Amino acid sequence: MTRGAMPGDRAFSAGTANALELRGVTKTFGALSALVDVTITIGPGEKRAVLGSNGAGKTTLFNCITGDFLPSAGAIRFFGEDITSAPAHERIRRGLRRTYQISLLFAGLSVIDNVYLACKGVARGRFSLLRPSRREAVMESAEELVRTVRLEDSRDVKVSDLSYGQQRQLEIAMALSGAPRFILFDEPAAGLSPGERQDLVGILKGLPSHMGYIIIEHDMDVALQVSESVTMMHNGRIFKEGKPAEIEDDEEVQELYLGGGNA
Amino acid sequence: MRVNPAYWVAGAVLLILPAFASDFVLYQLFGWTFILGMIALSLMFLAGYGGMVSLAQMTVAGVAGYMVAIFGESAITDISQGWPWYVSIPLALLIAALFATATGWLADRTEGIYTIMITLAIAAAFFYFFNQNYVIFNGFSGFNGVLPPELFGVNWRDPIAFYYLTLFWAAAWYFGAIYVSRSPFGLALQGIRDNPRRMAALGYHVTAHKVAAYAVAAFPAAVGGILLTWQSAQISPGTAGIGPAIDILIVAVIGGIGHPVGAFIGAFIYVILKTFAIDLIVFVGLGSERFRLLIGLGFLAVVFWSPDGVLGLWEKLKRSRGLNPLLRKAGRRP
Amino acid sequence: MRRFAENHPWWLAAIATAAAILLYLIFAIWPDWLVQMLGKKKVFLNALFNGITLGALYFLVASGFTLIFGLMRNVNLAHGSLYLLGAYIGYSVAGWTGYWLLAFPAAFLIVGLFGIVLQVFVFRRMERQDLRQTLVTIGISIVLADIMLWVFGGDFLNIIPPTWLSGPMETILVTGVKRSSGDLIYLKYPLIRIVIFLASVAIGVAMWTLLNRTRIGMLIRAGVDDREMLSATGVRIQLVFAGVFAFGAGLAGIAGVVGGTFQSIAPGEDVRFLLASLVVVIVGGMGSITGAALGAVLIGISEQFGSVYFPTYSVVVTFMIMVLVLAFRPQGLLGRS
Ligand SMILES: Nc1ncnc2c1ncn2[C@@H]1O[C@H](COP(=O)(O)OP(=O)(O)OP(=O)(O)O)[C@@H](O)[C@H]1O
Ligand SMILES: [Mg+2]
Repeated sequence: MTRGAMPGDRAFSAGTANALELRGVTKTFGALSALVDVTITIGPGEKRAVLGSNGAGKTTLFNCITGDFLPSAGAIRFFGEDITSAPAHERIRRGLRRTYQISLLFAGLSVIDNVYLACKGVARGRFSLLRPSRREAVMESAEELVRTVRLEDSRDVKVSDLSYGQQRQLEIAMALSGAPRFILFDEPAAGLSPGERQDLVGILKGLPSHMGYIIIEHDMDVALQVSESVTMMHNGRIFKEGKPAEIEDDEEVQELYLGGGNA
Repeated sequence: MRVNPAYWVAGAVLLILPAFASDFVLYQLFGWTFILGMIALSLMFLAGYGGMVSLAQMTVAGVAGYMVAIFGESAITDISQGWPWYVSIPLALLIAALFATATGWLADRTEGIYTIMITLAIAAAFFYFFNQNYVIFNGFSGFNGVLPPELFGVNWRDPIAFYYLTLFWAAAWYFGAIYVSRSPFGLALQGIRDNPRRMAALGYHVTAHKVAAYAVAAFPAAVGGILLTWQSAQISPGTAGIGPAIDILIVAVIGGIGHPVGAFIGAFIYVILKTFAIDLIVFVGLGSERFRLLIGLGFLAVVFWSPDGVLGLWEKLKRSRGLNPLLRKAGRRP
Repeated sequence: MRRFAENHPWWLAAIATAAAILLYLIFAIWPDWLVQMLGKKKVFLNALFNGITLGALYFLVASGFTLIFGLMRNVNLAHGSLYLLGAYIGYSVAGWTGYWLLAFPAAFLIVGLFGIVLQVFVFRRMERQDLRQTLVTIGISIVLADIMLWVFGGDFLNIIPPTWLSGPMETILVTGVKRSSGDLIYLKYPLIRIVIFLASVAIGVAMWTLLNRTRIGMLIRAGVDDREMLSATGVRIQLVFAGVFAFGAGLAGIAGVVGGTFQSIAPGEDVRFLLASLVVVIVGGMGSITGAALGAVLIGISEQFGSVYFPTYSVVVTFMIMVLVLAFRPQGLLGRS
């Protein structure tokens, strides 16, 4: 069942623990196998794109990594620590972050409250009954993030009143909160205008080099611009791994994915 | 912050009310309104901010009332310890908070829809337990002669003193709830209400937060329970029975569960109805015991037509949208 | 069953031992030391059987509650009112016609009909708004309670069973030995309770068979597992819902007649039976008929033993069972997580 990581991957991250290691991760929903024996190794600071058609199991993969679902089989390590069955909040506190494909925001709260909540989730004083002051470090970093994603003009707007693109931006800001070590982006560019996409690419490229991530992206242009390596998924399985250029030229990939008209 | 002028007017009227209101109005109507409002506020805090509808808040109040009677003074000298107020009251609050915490932990063991059932079962179990136990709770008759301490030389059961005492605590909890709603804890609680899964994915321990909310919400309920005990100078199982537990829910829902002020509006309506509706019912030609029918129908009408309660009607008038846990559709899965 | 044995050998051993001890206590002639420890065997047996018959009654009420919850996720806090309504209807019908047996179909039909009204006018209108549904049922139970108090008054009423059912029946169970003659003394037990117990078992078995062996039952169970799937199969889901609701409500009505016969009818019984249903399904597992049966018998027995052996703490015993289940098996004994 469990397959070892490929030696090539090891060489990539010689010395330090890998950011993320999945061994034989499998997830079934009743009769449906959403993930089958998925083994992935991602080195520290590595930026990976995951591609695959609709229903390939990409989001399920994220859900297993963040602990939204427990995998049916297999093991997950995060910077060397086994987190296979750790509760979601523990994983987040260890530096894992994610965005959701369908924005999961707090619609009744303002932009700054959403980002503040995200920052506070990994800071001390989560149970504090005292209102934050504007000078609180966590509040300052929240303000900073709001500026990073260019939402400062909508700082006090209720999330339900934001445009779709702004909500996607807010998702990004929340994923960047509190010094993450590794981030999972689930189709962050979906539904964005070309201009907004360029902003997004700018933000991703501006992330510090030690901060690795996985990005699920249907838009090949975006995916290949912001990633160093690519994993192709199909029907819950890993189907191909390689450098962006290799994947782009691969015939099977062309046939299965790019020809499928999903981009 | 801009404050609605209505608040200034309401505050001023409440402060000078003793100048022209009768003892009955001060002690019975307003004293009771504030007390019920505090207990309903405790439910509002859990339900409105946290999405947890607990029917055990009246029991929390009852536990605090009993503890004051047991550790402090009462006419049942065999049981009451007669300790000074600065021991018995903090102890009562602490035990009520512990009780609420345990309740919250139990109620949160399963998915949300069970909360109301489990808390109702807990409320009922304690009602029967108070009734059956004579060693600690003095069974059916409970405790009488439970009086407030003569702190600062004031007789706190004097109508005007009692009015200000309850007003003070009502205002304290009211502003406290509003303040806490914008604190990290309160924001997180509202986040959990809207989307527990996302909160976990932000690093929050959702269960711990919910249980802590029960502990926090215990305090207004517990203080309300102690004041209620002092008001009638007695506490018995009926104080925290199943009927009163449901009445607290009715109060909170009628007023509007989305904002702390709803608890007090609901309490005021309830008290007014309870006090004067009897005359009205008799006038219409029904027996005075039809009060519960009236309350039940009123409650049904509110839940059917204005799930936001009276506040909701007001909001509807202003045509603004708000988040209401009652209207949130269940089962949205991304 | 076999899977359970393989996965939990210790549990199986514990359950088997408990069953063996129980069988011994029921059938053996008690030696003196046992009598000294537990008191008279007759008291024990009576508590046990009263517990089981009470459990049967609880099962009748709770099975409807759990079925409705399991299929529709409706928390019907007016379920206790349906019980009391059934009791009063049974009382009236039995009084007017003089036929005890007529009380059952009457209660079943009228309360079932009322269930349909609830389903159509309340639950269907507020689909997926769990909390609002629950609140409405609380309101309905308050209104119903007061109307019933208005119509039937606050006195304790009894449905009188026919003469051929009253009186005790000699069972084959030995409670002791006559000192003088050495004859065995047999336990006498009210016939009506035995009949009611058997009838509840019959209803339980019929429900189980219906759910597990028929097409409609399969549909319902599929609906419990996966509501979306049920609507996707093109079944007229609302019809199934209304049917199940009517059936569950009707059962509560029948239970009312049963309860009114071997206990009494009074205001407040609605709350009592609502609570019993809640505790039974929390303990047994929401949505599970077998769980409801197990929970009902467990709670019935614990209540009776509690009131015989530790009278001041009988409620605590029941409550502790609920707490333990919630703590260690929050989905209920036979519920699925
Ligand atoms: N909670 C769930 N319950 C049942 N089935 C699920 C669940 N989540 C996902 N699935 C199923 O698992 C499969 C993989 O879904 P997943 O969301 O991971 O795909 P994806 O690769 O993210 O697709 P997309 O590009 O559309 O986002 C799908 O067939 C989906 O229906
Ligand atoms: Mg996806």
